Amino acid sequence: MQDAPIPRRNPRRPAVLTAAGLKRITLGEQGEGSVFGAALPAEAAAKPIRLTTEPSSALLAVVHADRGALDGHARQVVAAAALLAEPSDAVVVLVFGALSDDLAPLGADRVIVSPDEAWRPDYEVACLRAAIDQVQPRHILFPDTEAGGGDLGRRLAAIEGDAAAHVAELDRSCATTRRRGGRLAARRALPKILLLDPDIVDPDLPFLGRAETASLALPVEGSGKLCDLGRQSVPAADLPLEEADFILSAGNGVADIPTFLSLADAFGAAVGASRVAVDDGKFPRAKQIGATGKTVSASVYMAIGISGAIQHLQGIKACRHVIAINSDASAPIAKRADLTIVADAQDVMRHLLREMTDPGRNDMEEGS
Amino acid sequence: MSLRISLLVSVGRNPVSGTPRACRNDVAALEIARSLAGELTLLHAGEVGNPGLADYLAYGADRLEVVPASPDSDIVAALADQLGNTDLILCGSRAEDGEESGMLPYLVAQRLKRPIIGQALSLTIIGDHVEVTQFLPKGARRLVRVALPAVVAIHPRAPVRPRYAFARKRAGTIVALAPATGSQASPWHIEPVTRAPIKFKAHKKEAGHSRMQSAIASVSKGGEVLTEGSAAEKAQAILAYLRRHRLTDH
Repeated sequence: MQDAPIPRRNPRRPAVLTAAGLKRITLGEQGEGSVFGAALPAEAAAKPIRLTTEPSSALLAVVHADRGALDGHARQVVAAAALLAEPSDAVVVLVFGALSDDLAPLGADRVIVSPDEAWRPDYEVACLRAAIDQVQPRHILFPDTEAGGGDLGRRLAAIEGDAAAHVAELDRSCATTRRRGGRLAARRALPKILLLDPDIVDPDLPFLGRAETASLALPVEGSGKLCDLGRQSVPAADLPLEEADFILSAGNGVADIPTFLSLADAFGAAVGASRVAVDDGKFPRAKQIGATGKTVSASVYMAIGISGAIQHLQGIKACRHVIAINSDASAPIAKRADLTIVADAQDVMRHLLREMTDPGRNDMEEGS
Repeated sequence: MSLRISLLVSVGRNPVSGTPRACRNDVAALEIARSLAGELTLLHAGEVGNPGLADYLAYGADRLEVVPASPDSDIVAALADQLGNTDLILCGSRAEDGEESGMLPYLVAQRLKRPIIGQALSLTIIGDHVEVTQFLPKGARRLVRVALPAVVAIHPRAPVRPRYAFARKRAGTIVALAPATGSQASPWHIEPVTRAPIKFKAHKKEAGHSRMQSAIASVSKGGEVLTEGSAAEKAQAILAYLRRHRLTDH
């Protein structure tokens, strides 16, 4: 009688290092070599490039950059173009405004930048039509925003026809919008021009784009009938919190309210507060941010003396840059914040205020 | 000669009961149009006997002209025929019923070859120009000047306070014009909503190993933490962060 063969196992097969020691959970994993604890970053770095052959057709995503970056909605639109693309399609992105972001993770293959800040819709439409002539896209995607994409997309749609606005659901074959306050769904085959609502696309892609910079023969500036007389901003104090772009928010750790308010004034920021600060009577209820208060979507949210209870973090989900000043480094806000300063709030606020109002004097004090 | 202003109105729907009513956005536009000096005409394309139309009379219009049209009529052409000699065309930014795409002001402007300004909060007429304050997100406003004739779509946040008066509703008149002729086939297929929308995402072919990884390992998302240094240095670090991301002018 012959012995059963001894099962052979590679002792160096992939593993992860956990708190409990080395774990050899290797479901479905092939190959050799050991990856100690570095499984996730290694995979993230090894995303393949989607476009393997020379493209024969294209999709065009048109977005506006704000301060050199694309906002969440614009990123979703670029990702949507990459998801709609066939293997032979290039994803071309036309960006209005200067751009410093890398668009490869969003699947962009060619990026055309028109670095222009003033609002000249006739010129933008001319740029867009020049890009369309050059690229010959199958579909053109815009973010359906109140300014920028929504306006430009409708201008183009009025000329070209065949468009769907406020697209609430998208897949490879059809676009769906909602009507009558969300009771009816209207579906159609993908039109040429698509204006997408926010949060209908997941911008996390398993592939990369080539992100080559392309140039466009920009049209000569025509004399548009519209004349931009400049932008104004509403004083932050008059603005509803939901609309504010820069919010300074106080929590239990803020004792010096006058300094806090003058700091908000110096930054030109709207004032918010956590539930504790509002309950203590330091701020009116209308300033409360969080689950029972307001949900904000500022570009900068500075949380001073706020530990970051989950109810508060719900209210600041949509904020782009979160800066926290807190005396406790292990507070939950540190997990959410992009920059956490571990210090007493009063000291940092005083120094910030001095920096903002009188930067020269502060330098001299440090020098002496 | 006084300015000829046309206001395009649609019929809205009460979001709870579904009863026809005046569209909120168009009522805001009516309130702005009433504050301008000029000869105001209200224009609607649709069913003449719609009970929602009388609300515009209650909100302060004296007379409402209706182009009789069915849902598949080409209303852009029908409206454009009526609007040939107006100086200023106003409308709300989005309807509450029908296609609700917000496309109509752009289509009308394109057909009449006139400039269009969307998202207007307020407007003043200066000679043969109109100055419009436009709504931008994040508390910004933009001032735009355009030569008349032009099309202006009013933003829902326009600071107006419309007042409803039943007496005006009885006093005003609704007049039917010649019906719309052209028709358009709609590419849309309409059905009741049965489920929440599905997010468009990449189909990932993952091995069991990586799926297990994403289930058990959480990517720590926390940013930079600054513990060391004096309060002044920490204040500098905050300002440096803001400058690096171009978030402040200081």
